[in-house]
Amino acid sequence: MATHDVTLEWPNDPTRTVAVDADETVLQAAERAGEALPYGCRTGACGTCVGRLLEVDGGAAADDRTDEERTVDVDDAFAYRRAPRALKPRHRDDGYVLLCVATPEADCRIAVGSQIQSELVDNPWK
Amino acid sequence: MSDATAPDDVESDHDHEHHHHRGPGYATPQAAIEESEREKLAYVMSLYAGTDVDEPDFVAVVDLDPDSETYCEIVDRVEMPNRGDELHHFGWNACSSSCHVEGLERRHLIVPGQRSSRIHVVDTKERRNPELVEVIEPEEVFEYDLSAPHTVHCVPEGKIIISMLGDADGDLPGGFLELNDEFEIEGRWDPPGEIEMNYDYWYQPRQNVMVSTEWAAPKTYYPGFDLEDVEDGKYGRRLHFWDWEDGTVEQTIDLGEEGLIPLEVRFLHTPESTHGFVGTALSSNMFHFWEDRETGEYRAEKAIEFDAREHPDWDMPVPPLTTDILISMDDRYLFGSNWLHGEVWMYDISDPSNPRRADSLSVGGHFGEIQELQGRELTAGPQMLQLSLDGERLYWTTSLFSTWDDQFYPEEAERGSVMLKADVDPRKGTLELDEDFLVDFGECPAGPARAHEIRWPDGDCTSDVWQ
Repeated sequence: MATHDVTLEWPNDPTRTVAVDADETVLQAAERAGEALPYGCRTGACGTCVGRLLEVDGGAAADDRTDEERTVDVDDAFAYRRAPRALKPRHRDDGYVLLCVATPEADCRIAVGSQIQSELVDNPWK
Repeated sequence: MSDATAPDDVESDHDHEHHHHRGPGYATPQAAIEESEREKLAYVMSLYAGTDVDEPDFVAVVDLDPDSETYCEIVDRVEMPNRGDELHHFGWNACSSSCHVEGLERRHLIVPGQRSSRIHVVDTKERRNPELVEVIEPEEVFEYDLSAPHTVHCVPEGKIIISMLGDADGDLPGGFLELNDEFEIEGRWDPPGEIEMNYDYWYQPRQNVMVSTEWAAPKTYYPGFDLEDVEDGKYGRRLHFWDWEDGTVEQTIDLGEEGLIPLEVRFLHTPESTHGFVGTALSSNMFHFWEDRETGEYRAEKAIEFDAREHPDWDMPVPPLTTDILISMDDRYLFGSNWLHGEVWMYDISDPSNPRRADSLSVGGHFGEIQELQGRELTAGPQMLQLSLDGERLYWTTSLFSTWDDQFYPEEAERGSVMLKADVDPRKGTLELDEDFLVDFGECPAGPARAHEIRWPDGDCTSDVWQ
């Protein structure tokens, strides 16, 4: 069974790499490894568990979120067991991934932690 | 004095069945004012959902007894079994609507997880040390093609109805879930398809009416507030008036552009009344609604408006965001919160068509005159309100919803919420901040927590309904 190494990067914390089996989500694998990721609905509706793809297989990243420099689409890097309803097309274009319903299809690095969720929406009046 | 013993003190000669008060609550709204003791404890929804604190949400037990050594402290925390629920609103298994039902007690709190769709039952027999006794797992809820539980009201004979904001996918339509007195899912209360969006509801059984409001699909509001979703019509602006007995929508009123995102809805407490108010949070207007006796139709009119204000650090005028309202038990005052501005206010509604501003307090938020209390920065504005049954003490917390907090008050995650209090003079119509009262949820042992809805053990101004 294909297992992929997913490196989780929290701001100001050491990174952790977890092996994610083909039959589990990133969130499930993180929990199995004792790594606490934020989550809410666990069905892909709420976006609490969102991460941002930084790099796939040592290749180019969505890190700076400019289309020119990205070579891997986040939707190619993960298989979703349910549609990521909390994400809008612009979020998926920017490399955001819902870890409660996503299984990696390649080794990758993901920015995680609660502050990623707050990147999804701005204060519209400020 | 517990609810179970209260009836002994209120023997009545009235022959009307509703005055044979043998069950929970009070015979009338006025009885609630006269017979209730001062609230000594509050139950407060407290949460870590959406933060990096690796702990479950909890029900905080807050000491409100000024004579207690632990006044203003969280004296107990009932932790949920899982992380990530986002505890939000909650309610009782029984209230004054069952006051004639012998043997029924106001004892169990129904505590839904807004994000998880998990429903918890907390036994408050030991008031200062409540205990989690039942859990309905999300999968059981999803089987009814419902999710995102919100408002809990008990209805006569021990049933519980919960407004559900989405289907099993977190999309529309929402509906209502019914629990029985054993806290098992009885089924869907409403036939599917009556409504699309859902949020809060209130019922007035003597008028055979229920009113429900609209937020949005869970998948829309869960991740945060996106103005594009408003432009795309994904947020609500309608009121639904239901036939309470039949569980069907009889009339829908579109409040229009001035009625965007109608959230908390309250009928007057007297069971005779068809009047009520709803706060439309985004438009920041209060709508008064009532039944037109000639046509038998409900009507709604804008009764109070709050204006956006210019802020030097904001590009656009800041809307007040009127997120919560409540009506005093004597039906004299409407209280409300302007969460973004940092204001709580009270309006005289003795003539409900013509509300009259009585007083307000400018505290916290982006414009509040008071930004610090006892050395504690307040950050967010007043949000969820609760009023003592006698109408003399108004309390509030400051968190709206984890993702929305992060947009408008990102400091709330780092510092936690506060619970504050104002003394109300219902004869003079005045509010005064109690500077000695501060509950700091930033001091919780596991880390700063957000605080949302507040309830008293013996019922409050948003829990009880009379038949």
